[in-house]
Order: sequence, then structure tokens, then C-alpha cells
Amino acid sequence: MLLEIKGLKVVLGSSEILKNISFGVKRGEVVGLLGPNGSGKSTLLRTIYGVLRPSGGVVYFDGRAIPDFSIKEVAKKLGYLPQESFDTGLKVKEVVMLGRTPYIQGFSFTEEDLKIVRGALNLVGLSNFENRRFSELSGGEKQKVLLARVFAQNTEVLLLDEPTSHLDISSQLEIMSLIRRKVQDGCSALIAIHDINLASAYCDKLLLVKKGEIFAAGKPEETITSGNIREVYGAEVEVRKIGGNILVIPSPRRDADRKKWIHVICGGGTGSEIIRDLWIRGYRVSAGVINALDSDWFTASELGEVVDERPFSEISDESFRKNVNFIERSDATILSNLIVGRGNLRNLEAALHAAKLGKLFVVEEGEFENRNFVGDEAMEIYKSIISLLPESRVLKSCKELAKVLEDL
Amino acid sequence: MKFTSIQLFTILIAADLLALIAGIGIGSSGIGFGDLLSPTPIVSRIIIDYRLPRTLLSMIVGAGLAAAGCSLQALFRNPLADPYILGVSSGASVGAAFVILLGIASTINIMVSAFGFAIITSWIVYRIGKTEAGIPVYTLLLAGVAMAAFLSGITSLLIYISAQDMYQVVFWIMGGFWTANWLKVEIIFFPVLLSSIYLILSSWNLNAILMGEEHAMSVGIDVETFKKRVIAATALLTSAAVSVSGVIGFVGLITPHAMRIIAGENNKILLPTSLLAGAAFMPFVDLLSRTITTGEVPVGIITALLGAPFFLYLLRRSKIAA
Repeated sequence: MLLEIKGLKVVLGSSEILKNISFGVKRGEVVGLLGPNGSGKSTLLRTIYGVLRPSGGVVYFDGRAIPDFSIKEVAKKLGYLPQESFDTGLKVKEVVMLGRTPYIQGFSFTEEDLKIVRGALNLVGLSNFENRRFSELSGGEKQKVLLARVFAQNTEVLLLDEPTSHLDISSQLEIMSLIRRKVQDGCSALIAIHDINLASAYCDKLLLVKKGEIFAAGKPEETITSGNIREVYGAEVEVRKIGGNILVIPSPRRDADRKKWIHVICGGGTGSEIIRDLWIRGYRVSAGVINALDSDWFTASELGEVVDERPFSEISDESFRKNVNFIERSDATILSNLIVGRGNLRNLEAALHAAKLGKLFVVEEGEFENRNFVGDEAMEIYKSIISLLPESRVLKSCKELAKVLEDL
Repeated sequence: MKFTSIQLFTILIAADLLALIAGIGIGSSGIGFGDLLSPTPIVSRIIIDYRLPRTLLSMIVGAGLAAAGCSLQALFRNPLADPYILGVSSGASVGAAFVILLGIASTINIMVSAFGFAIITSWIVYRIGKTEAGIPVYTLLLAGVAMAAFLSGITSLLIYISAQDMYQVVFWIMGGFWTANWLKVEIIFFPVLLSSIYLILSSWNLNAILMGEEHAMSVGIDVETFKKRVIAATALLTSAAVSVSGVIGFVGLITPHAMRIIAGENNKILLPTSLLAGAAFMPFVDLLSRTITTGEVPVGIITALLGAPFFLYLLRRSKIAA
């Protein structure tokens, strides 16, 4: 282990910020520190570098305890980049030159120092920025200059505190690949970072920090699971693997947790918004009967179960029965602002069945006669549906659904 | 105005020499440059016993105040910091007023008392501002401001009590070099020289502090020790300067600012150039103070009257340029 942390404890005031943290960073490894705000990521980096004194535990560099080093020696071994820095009118090359401070002999820098500074600026692609004022640069450029400053320190470990925060996506990717490239040249990096996807893509190993403790550690695919994210961040996410990369996307609730089941009778795009909204609110959803390839069909099959019929075909007995079955098993059924034709007339009959069971809610955004292409037969069914429902169950907009369904 | 640093140093050293020559050659006694070429005994006396120490003293004080101001502006990352931020001037004023009130106001007594009070004041401010974790800049600044306010109250009280000596106290506080002599030059030369050398050697580390204390630590600087030393050096330097010349304002504030516009932010250039500029500016202002009227106008008045508008002009210019 190049860097080894053993039983690190930090107490600030009366609160224990870090509790017994132990891990190691190998040479050539990029390790990401993930965790919610206030979990102790910054404190950990600051303690490893020596800004804060631990109340227990030791940090070893290459087998030697860090407190045995002078701060000047530490600065030659560990390149620490704090999260906050003040703006300064110093020139870019002077800022990068600060990285050579631990090596300074006497009052002046050597040709060697200048060469290293130019090399570092070259590496981050800002060679022609040498004489620009630091304060005049953009956020991404500033971060690259600060990175060049740490690179110029020629350390074996990089300790970077959120080097990508406040940056746009292209700068984020650029910064991360610069760090990767530097590590390939023979050092290792420990990076506090907020973006889980970015961390998964660029780190060999991740540490999930929760309330001052390491909750999970390992390769990204081992550490980033929806269970771990829920435990550490208290957020519901879905973890997908795309071409070897891990992608975390927000999802309000998993299917097993979706307790209430709502069935939506819809079609022709009248149900998509309802289905999506219900799903986001954590309901289990189903829909039917819908012709395959209908826009509602796409939404419903992505988010739940669908009773479907072949494209442009009338509802068959089988689909009808299945639809009724779904209605009977659901906790509530919704009839969308459906356009009724010969083909889907039997959806109205199914809705009538739901109304009789006392499970139906109707979304009536426009007059039924304008949506009726069948005639009296459909009108009759619709009227008997409405007559069975209390007024509160007939909604003028699907936006009102969320509220009425809450009382379910 | 863009100069290489070598050009800048050359210009400033030339300005210092010019200030020295002007300080020797011009005065209210009517002795001019012509008399310098064939000096009579009286001319020699005036030059050697009066004008030379006075000019040198003003150069040393100007250089010291500018260097101290420059260092503290960097250390506190605050453009409003000046050498008196730690309460040195108000401490020295109390010291001087005290001696004058007691009726033992010899040059050397005023000097020792002012110096002693100044050093003790900055030490108290430092102790108040210090916490277990280190020396937070803001606590220190606020402690300095509060201490200065308290001591100004005492000075005002002493002035009020002193009645017939009031004029002397007020005149001392306004600052000037009319009491200059070789003893003063000898006494303050080494403290100012040594402190300035330390500050110039520390100038690169001050650059690191500009980006934040944690940044300075990350490049291997023991920040707390460093802060202590810079504060000690500037307190010594400023106390020494104030003890011989009274409270001369603005030089320590505006000289570094003016140089920053010309020389840039890098303290490695900025600090020594500010020092040289202070050494040129101060004797020039003193020359005005002793020739502008038949009597003496306190230097502090002229630095404020000249310095403030000049500073505003620079500020305005740099704002437009930016």
C-alpha cells in the first residue's frame, strides 16, 4: 500500500466527524470518495494531509507514519488540493509555481522548477495562459491551473477535494481524464467527488462514506448498488450498466415497494401522462386494453403491465377478460379521457364493471359526445358509468388524480 | 505602464537616489545645490546634522511602512490592511501622550514609551485574536479594530487632561520628521532592516497565503508559525517607525496598492518594489512639508491630502482598465 489509513478518528468540538476509518490506496490506483454532504469526505482528506489532527489512528505513506514527516516533506509526497481557493491576481505561471514551494532552495527557483511548471501547464493544455491573471480565467480553466499546481508538486499521491464541483460537463470529463493520465504516469489519487456516475467511470475503487464511516468499498460495480445508495444517501435510484459503465438514475420506488396498484383504461395517448405520474408517485401501474404500438402502449409497457391487442384490431374476448381481471385485482381503476370507437367500445364496458365494483375514477377533460364515434350505444354505457359515481370521482383534469388517490 | 522587473527596480532605485539628493539639497534655510559644491562649515553642519539624518529617517520609515503594509495586505488577504491594523499607532499615541502629560517629554523618552506601548498593544491584540486552532484572520482584525478604538479613547482623554501640552501631543500624533537626528536613524535602522529582510525572504510564501491558508499548507508551509513571524516582524517594524515619526498614515496603505497596479500581485516583486517606492515617496512628502510654508506642516497631513486622491485616481484607472 502506498497510502494506508488505519483507524482514523476525528473529533471536532463535541461531534465525532470520522469514526475508525481504515483503507489503503495502491500505487496506480484512482480511489473515489463518495458520500452525502457532511459525511466526512473533506475531513478525511484534510486529516490525511495533516490540516486536521486525528484524535486516533495513523496515516502511513509507504510504510512511514505521516506525523514523522515535516510539512515540507509531506508536501513532496502528498499533493493536496483543497476544495476552496481564493481568487488572486497572481499570474497563471506564478500559481503553478506555488507547487514548487516545497522544493525551493534559497530565494530563487531553478531552471528545473521552470521546466516542471511548463510541463504541468502543458499537460493541462494551458501553455499559452502562462501570463494571464488567475482571476480572469473561467471556472474550468482555474481548476485546470490548480490541478497543474498539484501536478508540479511531483507527488506520489494526489488528494483532491471535489476537483469537478461547479464545472460544466466537458470540464468535468477533462479534469477527470487529466487525473487519470497523471496516475498512469506513476502515482495514485484519492478524490472526493459528488457525481456518482463520473466517479464510477473514472475510479478503480470507490469508498462510500456514511456519517464518518466507510459503508462500502470496492470496485464501482460492487459498491454502487441501489441498496447501498439508499442506505448512504437515502435516495431511491436505479443502477444500470451500459457498456461497462455504471449509470445511476433516480427512481422514486422499486416495484416491490409499490403497494397500491392502479389500472388505467386508456389509449391513443390519453393515458401516458397519467401512467407516468402515477409511477413517479410510487404506484404500481397497469393499462388496458391498448393496441400495440399505440403511444400509451409504449409508456405502459415501460413502466408496468399492459393488456394489449394487435394493432388496429377490435378488443377480443380474451383481452377483455384479462382487462376485467386486472380491474378486479387493482386497488383503483382510471378511465382516461378516451376517444371511443367500435374497436375499443368494450373498454367502456370494462369501465362500467369497475364502476360497479366502486373502483372507478373518470377523467373527463372534454364532453363525451365529442369523443364518441359509436353513437347511442356508447353514450348509454357512459351515462350509466357516470350515474354510478359520486361527483368527486369525476375529474376535470388528470392533474387532480394525485389528490383523490391519496385517500385510497 | 508595463515594465520588466529589472526596469522597475532601476527606476525605483533612481527615484530613491533622487529623493536623497533632493532632501539634502533643498530646504527652508536657503542653502541650495550650489552651496553643496563649495560647502562652508555652516552648510556642512546643516547638511550633515540636519538634512541628511532627516532625509534618511524619512526614507527608512517610508520603506518600512510600505513593506509592512504590503505584507499584511497579503497575509490578511485584505486590501484595507495597513501597518496599523494591529493597533500599533493607537498604542504608540497613548505612549507618547503619557510621557508628554507627565512632563518628561524628551525625544528619547517619547520614543521609548511610544515603542513600548506599540509593541505591547500588538502583543495584546495578537493574544486576544489567537485561538486554540490558530490565528483566524478575522478575529485578529476585529481585535485590532476594537483595541485601536479603545486606545483612541484613552489618547483623547489624555489630550483632554493635558490642556496646555495638548498642542504637543496632537502634533506628535500627526507625524513628522522635524525631530530627526542621527540617534533616531541609528536606533531604527536595524529593526527596520532586519524585519524588511525577513519579509522580503517570506514574500513567496505570502503568495501562497493569497490563495488561502489551506493552499499554503498544501505546498508545505507551516502556516501558523509563518503568520506569527510575519505579524511579529511587521509589529516590530511599524512600532519602530511610529516611535521616531509619529503616526504617518496612508503610506503603508497606498504604496503597495499603487505598486500592485504597476508591478502585479506577485509579492516577490511587489514587496521589494513597494519598499523602494515608500523610501522615495516619504522624503518627497517630507520635503513638501518643510518647504511648502515657512513653518512645518505635519507629514501625516500631506500624505493624506496627496495620497488619498492619488489612490482614488489609481483605483479608478485600474477599474476602467479591468
